Amino acid sequence: MKKITVIGAGTGGAIVANSLARNLKKEIQKGQVQVTVFDGAKYHEFQPAYLGVAFRGSNKNAIKRPIRSLLHPDVKLINENCSEINLANEFVVGEKPGQRIDFDYIVIALGCKPDPGQIPGLTEANLDFHTNAQASSIVYDRISKFKGGKIVTGITGLPYKCPPSPNESTFLLHEFFTKKGIRDRVKLSFITPYLRPYPAEPISEVIEPLYKERNIETVLGFNVDSVDPVKKKVFSVEGESVSYDELFLVPPHATPNVIRKAEFSDDEGWVVVDKRDLHVKNYDYAFAIGDNTNLPISKAGVEAHLEGIVVANNISAEIKGISERYLFTGRFQCTMETGFHKATFVVGTYQKPVKKIYPSFANYVKKKIMSKIYWNAELGKCEWLFKLNFGKDYYDVIRDGKTAAPAARAIPN
Amino acid sequence: MTTITVDSRGTACPGPITDLIRAYRKAANGDVIELLATDVGIKSDAKAWCDRTKNELVNITESDGTYKTVIKIVSKRENRDT
Ligand SMILES: Cc1cc2nc3c(=O)[nH]c(=O)nc-3n(C[C@H](O)[C@H](O)[C@H](O)COP(=O)(O)OP(=O)(O)OC[C@H]3O[C@@H](n4cnc5c(N)ncnc54)[C@H](O)[C@@H]3O)c2cc1C
Repeated sequence: MKKITVIGAGTGGAIVANSLARNLKKEIQKGQVQVTVFDGAKYHEFQPAYLGVAFRGSNKNAIKRPIRSLLHPDVKLINENCSEINLANEFVVGEKPGQRIDFDYIVIALGCKPDPGQIPGLTEANLDFHTNAQASSIVYDRISKFKGGKIVTGITGLPYKCPPSPNESTFLLHEFFTKKGIRDRVKLSFITPYLRPYPAEPISEVIEPLYKERNIETVLGFNVDSVDPVKKKVFSVEGESVSYDELFLVPPHATPNVIRKAEFSDDEGWVVVDKRDLHVKNYDYAFAIGDNTNLPISKAGVEAHLEGIVVANNISAEIKGISERYLFTGRFQCTMETGFHKATFVVGTYQKPVKKIYPSFANYVKKKIMSKIYWNAELGKCEWLFKLNFGKDYYDVIRDGKTAAPAARAIPN
Repeated sequence: MTTITVDSRGTACPGPITDLIRAYRKAANGDVIELLATDVGIKSDAKAWCDRTKNELVNITESDGTYKTVIKIVSKRENRDT
């Protein structure tokens, strides 16, 4: 029997496990293949909705589903965190010491989390909207009571997930205080280590006028070193400071402990993978997808999804003896709400740089549709739509050693 | 003094500047960051970044489509006064 183990049942892990279960249905029924998922969490939260919880007061309980309900019935769930991943000897260990589970193939999809401890003072001073729905709801409580003063948003360290989210938080704060009628009493200041409000120039050119028009200060090239929660100041590594009354910064992110110091991760704890077929360096039976990889693209759900499709196909093809293989195109896609029912998208691939996309109501609707179909997409019920939407970027195919794009019609973004 | 080599070849903007910012966090005064990039945008970005952060741009050279940017880190404050 071929044993496939998936570690993590988040956006990428669920997609890969469910696709494997569908691709290998017959083999699983015949007892030739087993797909097992490890995840210690009870619920899977839809993370993009944290922004709505934090800045619009949406219901924090409406954005989660039990992990089991998002997995195909043929997938075995071990509702435990993994405490050891041993690629060389092909086994993992759950929470119970000595419980060793062997595998033939493994997919590591553990995501990443805010790690405010990297910046002295940040844990005490800051409220963030990247940790979970509960933490995000505290941001809303705080802004609801805010009567006036200076709010600082922005980026503290790299990398973090969803690159547009710091900009988005700033625009949603502008919307919140404008609707409340006290915008003139609130100073908004956005700090970033980049030299423009958005790292990629074309999108920066699109949003820069919004910062000016909305009277939002930008502090560019500011590399956060530490925060003094008593003096209420953020310091840069060069010794400059920015004062605040409320701080809603995005902390630097890190991978879970089980992989942070692993021999297959880089010196910062990101799993080193091949950027096209996503195998872990030196292990052709091990793969990593989603936020926990060292890939030089943004950390976002769309990437985790498309990588999951590639890996699930390639493992299934190898087991079935099919020669066709998929390659990840590097497609990334992040929404940035700019407030007042408008949004833009940051879209590109390894080959195609980010283009200018102006904020529009149509993009906002597209974002809403994406969030509505998320749970069904995790179950694999919307793959046709993804294929249609991503067109040539969905994946590359190798047939007989030659690369070709999948046959699908592209819808312009 | 340590030389930190960062390989951003094959990544488009903002890949190289992102890698530079990440390397800068780990560097100390006196260290040298050597950034390799194929995106031509790094030439203006590295210069503007050095001007803003007050670090020293030693040089930018080009060979076979790879831009090698050498930056000496000089502007980190040594002690936190928080
Ligand atoms: C505010 C915000 C806005 C966002 N907006 C967007 C957006 O607009 N578009 C977009 O595409 N993406 C967006 N994202 C990013 C997106 O949610 C993530 O990139 C995506 O969830 C990554 O998927 P993943 O599978 O890599 O990790 P995750 O979905 O985070 O899943 C990781 C899983 O691993 C589990 N786990 C952790 N440790 C262990 C362990 N030791 N053993 C077993 N299991 C473990 C966790 O419980 C979790 O279920 C946003 C994120 C945030 C925070």
